Amino acid sequence: MATRTSWEEFSKGLWLDNPVSRQLLGMCSTLAITNAVINGIAMGLAVGFVLICSSLLVSLVRKFIPNQVRIASYIVIIASFVTIADRFMAAYFPPLSKALGPYVPLIVVNCIILGRAEAFASKSTVARSLIDALGMSVGYIVALLILSSVREILGSGTILGYRVLGTQFEPWIIMILPPGAFITLGILIAIAFQIERKAKQRS
Amino acid sequence: MRLYRRMLIVLSSIGLISGALLMSVNIFTKDRIASNRQKEIEEAVIKVIPGTKSSLKIYEEKDFTVYQGQDDQGNVLGIAINTAAGGFQDKIFYIFGLNAQLTKINSLFVLDQKETPGLGAKITSAEAFLQFWEGRDASQPLALRKPAVKKDALAPNEVNTITGATISSRAMLTSVNAALERIKKLKQEGKFSIEGSNGD
Repeated sequence: MATRTSWEEFSKGLWLDNPVSRQLLGMCSTLAITNAVINGIAMGLAVGFVLICSSLLVSLVRKFIPNQVRIASYIVIIASFVTIADRFMAAYFPPLSKALGPYVPLIVVNCIILGRAEAFASKSTVARSLIDALGMSVGYIVALLILSSVREILGSGTILGYRVLGTQFEPWIIMILPPGAFITLGILIAIAFQIERKAKQRS
Repeated sequence: MRLYRRMLIVLSSIGLISGALLMSVNIFTKDRIASNRQKEIEEAVIKVIPGTKSSLKIYEEKDFTVYQGQDDQGNVLGIAINTAAGGFQDKIFYIFGLNAQLTKINSLFVLDQKETPGLGAKITSAEAFLQFWEGRDASQPLALRKPAVKKDALAPNEVNTITGATISSRAMLTSVNAALERIKKLKQEGKFSIEGSNGD
């Protein structure tokens, strides 16, 4: 792990270890909220904030926490950040808080955050944890953006609320319903694996 | 034994620190959140009673608050009811405006909801749902209509449903009808009075 450059540490979250397409973590929220692009962006940013803060803190206190109670400690740390973010948004950015309302408490149980705390931040230096969390956040946001764009375009005929397909286009309601999430995610993961395999064959 | 003590101390102190932190965040943000909510309701009252300059709370019970809106001269322009519908996931808090005779719905506005994003959450969209409430006849119970089945113009007491979100649409309709019944009953019993001269 120590041999990786900072760029490798960051970029692995984008492709090689992408939280959505390769680690398959945090599927619940990924599937549930990606029926509109704005939801995908909002969830991505909120998860990014909590991921970066908690990775930072976990790697800071990693030497003090006994192994046996580490998961409980991480959950308390993550839940605190989520609550702070939630209250802060409700007080100072009411419209944003309104849009994100139902999702924010869900971030506590998003396993990307716990997964990175357990697998990376608890074993790495503060700087590396920060880079890792940044990379994972960007990878997560990009994955949500792709997923939610496909679903919103086909399911509502719009993107970010603007109509992109003509009015004669009959929206595929299934794409904004849960089955559409599974179909889209499955196809996207298959495409990602195919690209990966082609790249391996070439080298 | 030493390990147990250490586990206990570390976990308790993390809990204590987080608790203290959250408490201070709560104290710090509580008033602001409450005033945001209050401001939002006041703005909503002005939105659902056209021409309102100031509003006044005239009746209150659990999940059912009535405001009256008046213009500069103190003429009462109508009332606004802030109430909640039993939504798909959680209560839908909304406000709607009536004229002073309680015969016409001016408009309806959703304040807070946790419906399914992309489906039930469309109850907050003017284009998909809220526009159908404007100017509805409130002297008789309202009814829902599936826009995909019948395409001709809506009757004065009909409201279009949202495709794929029948539960949320119906929850709103049931709640609005119940609220209309309640307000008419309250008026008959004289539980609230509209103050000032009637400008409608």
